[in-house]
Amino acid sequence: MSQFLNLLAAGLTSGAIYGIFGACLAVWFRVCNVLNLAVGDFAMLGAIGTAVLVQQDHFPFLAGIAVDLLAVGAVAWVFDRVVLHLAFDRRSGGHGIVSVFFYTFGLSLVLEGLARAIFGTDVHAAPAIWNGPALTIADFHVQRAGVLVIAVAVVSGLVLWAYLHFTVSGRAASACGESVVGSRIVGINNALFRRWIFVGTAVLAALFGIVESPLTGFTFQSGPTISLIGVIAAGFAAFRRPGRAVVVGLGLGVAEAMLGGYVSTGYNDVLLYAIVFAIIILQPEVLGLSAAEA
Amino acid sequence: MARLTRHRDPLPLAAVIAIVVIGSLALIALNGSYLGLTITVGVGFAVVTVGMVLQLGYSRQLAFSQSVFMGVGAYGTGILETKYNFSSAESLLAVIALATVAAYVVGSVVTRAPGLALALATLLLPLFVFQLATYSTYLGQFSGINGVPPFWNGPTYQSELVRSGIVSVVLLGLATGLVLRVMRSGVGLQLMAMAEDERLGEAIGVNLRQRRLDVFVLGSVLAAVGGAVLASAQGLVTPDVLSESAEITLLIMLFVPGRKSVAATIIGAIVIEYLSTSTSFISTNLGMIEGIVLIVILIVEPDGAAGALSRLLGRRTDRWGGALRTGIARLRTGGGERVRETPAEAPPAAAPGNR
Repeated sequence: MSQFLNLLAAGLTSGAIYGIFGACLAVWFRVCNVLNLAVGDFAMLGAIGTAVLVQQDHFPFLAGIAVDLLAVGAVAWVFDRVVLHLAFDRRSGGHGIVSVFFYTFGLSLVLEGLARAIFGTDVHAAPAIWNGPALTIADFHVQRAGVLVIAVAVVSGLVLWAYLHFTVSGRAASACGESVVGSRIVGINNALFRRWIFVGTAVLAALFGIVESPLTGFTFQSGPTISLIGVIAAGFAAFRRPGRAVVVGLGLGVAEAMLGGYVSTGYNDVLLYAIVFAIIILQPEVLGLSAAEA
Repeated sequence: MARLTRHRDPLPLAAVIAIVVIGSLALIALNGSYLGLTITVGVGFAVVTVGMVLQLGYSRQLAFSQSVFMGVGAYGTGILETKYNFSSAESLLAVIALATVAAYVVGSVVTRAPGLALALATLLLPLFVFQLATYSTYLGQFSGINGVPPFWNGPTYQSELVRSGIVSVVLLGLATGLVLRVMRSGVGLQLMAMAEDERLGEAIGVNLRQRRLDVFVLGSVLAAVGGAVLASAQGLVTPDVLSESAEITLLIMLFVPGRKSVAATIIGAIVIEYLSTSTSFISTNLGMIEGIVLIVILIVEPDGAAGALSRLLGRRTDRWGGALRTGIARLRTGGGERVRETPAEAPPAAAPGNR
């Protein structure tokens, strides 16, 4: 029983990581039908930037976090103003599959290269926000950073879900993704929603990177893998439902841990990806994509 | 009664001949130098990207599994030649057969998933195949398979490099000819209709599922051939060939030069491979440079460098054409007076008060 509980805790922790990035991807896709493949790189910038500011430049911890989040937000804002504005508002760039994947894919490459040039190739981890030994109840152990990661993921998923469903602003944001022209006709500023939700999810991803980094550590190359897992979690939430993405992410994490604990420690990821692949192929309707998106 | 004659399209054959002749001459001139090896590796990537032009560029099939099939080709060649003593020709034929069967099996399942679901499914493939390769002792785990012989042995290392390079160039020529033949045939028109609008394709009688599968199989088999070229050129196969970063490299090689142009992607693959090994600054910062170039190209010219070049040349030839027409008109009117050019599409000026 204790093995099951410990695997569950480990699975929920890694699942929360998948889920939150899935949620960030889903909420922005809902607004502008573009996948943010740089979301993992924003997390990487959050984690490594804070680690460097606090440990090497001796910033106070909270000031380091604030400066880092501001910097990440600024990067996202500049990218939107310079690239996405031209591509979507001025309609000067490529559309279709190009816009869905490749603008943010380009951003991911640039951020990875910048991180390598600025921070080097070492593994970095921001200081733990909640210090102390692992929490223990009988034989059940969970690290404090893990508890924080799960809490941040659940709260973020709930907040994003509530924002989209119960606020006028959230409904307006959803309308942008449904129909650009229709939303403009009723006076919704698509560009504004796209920009602020992009900046907001970038900052959220960076914050999550800071919270999570004591558990896993980050290098300049950590971003793409995180983004890819986020895409999978978001995919099972029709790329549009952040709350569901968190739930799916948690499920993926638990399944991964259970496979590792009870089936094979070496092949748990292989088995998990194979199962997910089989589900997508055999039951694509599980993804919940509309005919137009599919 | 006029005799009906069947005109053969000369372009695919001309492309095969041009690639084989130019490529072979270049490799002979380089005489087995490091640059020759770099070009041969670039040719391996080019074989893959030529298939991607058909798959992603022309047919707009959102499949990201090329690195997996590149790995099938590379590992297949490595295993057959080092563990089972196959000759290069035998292993190449076996790899093509294996990749065709594997692509058909995977494709018949994967291409059932439409659009973003297909993208998602094929994004997963490199993830678990890479992990499988790193854990498998049979595939050599992280160190992979070493000692893969070149396509064509020779008395010296340099001569082996030149000979194997020529075989690689011939394979690239054949791949290019095949893809151009498909793109310029009735099947190509069907693929174009499907890419524009699947309902349109269905309405004109295209078997969507069959065509999706055909494109997937052809793209995957070419990726496997490219992998075989890489394995024999480099002499080793590592799991990196299957990884998501390999897929990223291939996508860059497709999108920056121009995803719809076969010629541009061939040149692009070789140039990008050259740049990745040319100087330490470029090789270290290649990802960032590629990212910036990709974003700029997508904003300025979504059809890549080839699109920009064709637009530039189009404007220039338009100007030259305009100047030529003006000159001819001057000659016809006696040469002295200046002739004003009027666009053919320009509507006649409305008479005053006649609105």
